[in-house]
Amino acid sequence: MKLNFRMFATIASLFVLFMLAACGGSNDTASDASGESGAVSGKIGVVSFMTGSGAAYGEAITNGLELAEKELDEAGEVDVELVIEDSAGEPDQALSVTQKLINSEDVVGIIGPTLSTEMEVVGPVADQNGVPIMGTSNTAEGIPQIGEYVFRDSIPETQAIPASVEKAIEEYDAKKVAIMYGNDDVFTKAGYDAMKDAAEDLGLEELTTQTFQIGQSDYKAQLSKIKQMEPDLILCSALYNEGAVIMKQARSMGIDVPFVGGNGFNSPEVIEIAGDAADGLIVATPWFTKKDDQKVQDFVSTYKDEFGKEPDQFAAQAYDGLYLMAEGLKNAGEADRDELRDAIAEIDGFEGVLGDISFDEDGDVVMDPTVLIIEDGEFKEMK
Amino acid sequence: MLGELINPYYLQVASFILINIILGLSIYVTLASGQLSLGSAGFMAVGAYTTALLTTNFEVPLLVGILAGVMLAGIFGIIVGIPSLRLRGVFLAIATLGFGEIVRVFIVNTESLTKGAIGISGIPQLGREILDKLEVIGFDPEILGLKANQFTFLIVFILLLIIVIVLVCFFSRQKNSRVGRAFSAINMDEQAAASMGINVTYYKVLSFTQGAMLAGLAGALYAHVLSYISPADFTYHKAVEILTFSVFGGSEVVGGAIFGATFLTLLPETLRAISEYRYMIYGILLVVMMAYRPQGVIDEQMMRWFKRRKGRRQQHGTENK
Repeated sequence: MKLNFRMFATIASLFVLFMLAACGGSNDTASDASGESGAVSGKIGVVSFMTGSGAAYGEAITNGLELAEKELDEAGEVDVELVIEDSAGEPDQALSVTQKLINSEDVVGIIGPTLSTEMEVVGPVADQNGVPIMGTSNTAEGIPQIGEYVFRDSIPETQAIPASVEKAIEEYDAKKVAIMYGNDDVFTKAGYDAMKDAAEDLGLEELTTQTFQIGQSDYKAQLSKIKQMEPDLILCSALYNEGAVIMKQARSMGIDVPFVGGNGFNSPEVIEIAGDAADGLIVATPWFTKKDDQKVQDFVSTYKDEFGKEPDQFAAQAYDGLYLMAEGLKNAGEADRDELRDAIAEIDGFEGVLGDISFDEDGDVVMDPTVLIIEDGEFKEMK
Repeated sequence: MLGELINPYYLQVASFILINIILGLSIYVTLASGQLSLGSAGFMAVGAYTTALLTTNFEVPLLVGILAGVMLAGIFGIIVGIPSLRLRGVFLAIATLGFGEIVRVFIVNTESLTKGAIGISGIPQLGREILDKLEVIGFDPEILGLKANQFTFLIVFILLLIIVIVLVCFFSRQKNSRVGRAFSAINMDEQAAASMGINVTYYKVLSFTQGAMLAGLAGALYAHVLSYISPADFTYHKAVEILTFSVFGGSEVVGGAIFGATFLTLLPETLRAISEYRYMIYGILLVVMMAYRPQGVIDEQMMRWFKRRKGRRQQHGTENK
């Protein structure tokens, strides 16, 4: 017995010793304000989903950020240094990494994390430590309301969905709708909540609400119920992989009414998977590569040169996110967390590739999304 | 001086290590009686959701919430443990995996109570609550030269460390007690154990319930450390991760769970410099490990070697597994 205890005591004390030794690590403080040539310099931390199932998001985000950093360096007005860390999409890792950025790297602001679930964990911590944090891909409700220091430049479902539903009603004179959503994913569930509210606000008659799960492959049961009800419009909160299959099956069952999707539905993959069946999908998006705007076209072409593919929404939002941080730093005049927070909150009508960006009193983005419709296998702007 | 020494980042990682040790122990205890359970993520969810709902909706003190979570997980342990008695090996693993998924799907679907897939946010933080209590009696972290934020992490770390020390003491003592030997006997041969007068049903359910309670405790602590939980935290992926802690470290001894949880939590953190490749290394390590040392890093033999080196003679019969 004694032996066992001693054994354990050794392990425990070794463990503590190790932890304390680790604590003695780098803690050198203060990201020095104002580098050479009078430019404001600051370290910006990035928490991104770079390994695991969502690595594609992380890649687009870091590409967008790196491009923005390069351009900012060339412009020379603000000198930002990115510290990019991986969260693997896990809330606990996102939290550890945020602590690292705040305490070890001593960043002035943070961009990320990728998922809303991660932001729910990281946001309060950044807020308590007084570090401005900008979500570039969180669309769930209530994210900027976490605290004063929490911002986002990704348009939430609560803004995007009403815009697309409204456009659809205008175009098709819809009165009766059916709703479908994935109920086991935070993203699609948030989209559903926004759809339900939008339908109520716009006085639509809800015929039926059907649910499905991630990875489901057969939606005929739900769709045949919807078909019986004869809706004018189907509101469908799904990610593109499920959404595309739903559309394909719906069209083959003879349901030819337009679909209105959430942000997760907005992907060129839908056209690839569903083919002709994708025609008639309406989505609102902050990002449209074919937008008739010089800034957007410049960004698309430089991004293409650099990374060999077109930037998606996540790349564009991250790109603008870093520009917003840089704008904040420039206006703050020094790399101070509180000054930066105030400067970001005051940004009004910043011209980014997404459009004109401002923040409301919560720190939520205010901008007009573009409503797109798929016609003849192509995304087109709905005017 | 203390203020400069304490970096919340390291304390945060250390806290996760301690929580993972508790999870590793939960697998160790059930494996001790030869039961392979993959339901830890489910029990963790029960513990986490119980305390999260109680503390956020009814302002119950954290201690009560956590204990309620542990108890409820224990009750579920008994409920699942008894019918699972007839199952062994992979069949039990599948049944418990099923339990974990049922819990998760239940949480996803009871939206009115658990907010479904959205998750519960704003769960009281362990460190903050303790600090608030201490401030009432006039304590100020400045006395120790610490910022409030450093203090909260330090106190959480110390609290978790105490809990883990108590648990490790308990289970390493239990191992060599009447109960622990009954577990080992059942693990070796159930029928032989029964013929020697060991109440197999009782001990199997006991070990399963202990595992469930430990997982529930870890879940409850996890909820109060992260202050946000969602069903996505408790998928079968998590269950497998927990199993890995114990299997990698060595499932025969308590030290194995401690080593496995510490090493596997620390590894991805220390490999951050090569971010894209870190999980590849993690994977390779697991494969190599299982090929060359299937019993885990630390096993009985290694423990004995440690003891012998200390010049102690091992007592006869204590290591009869």
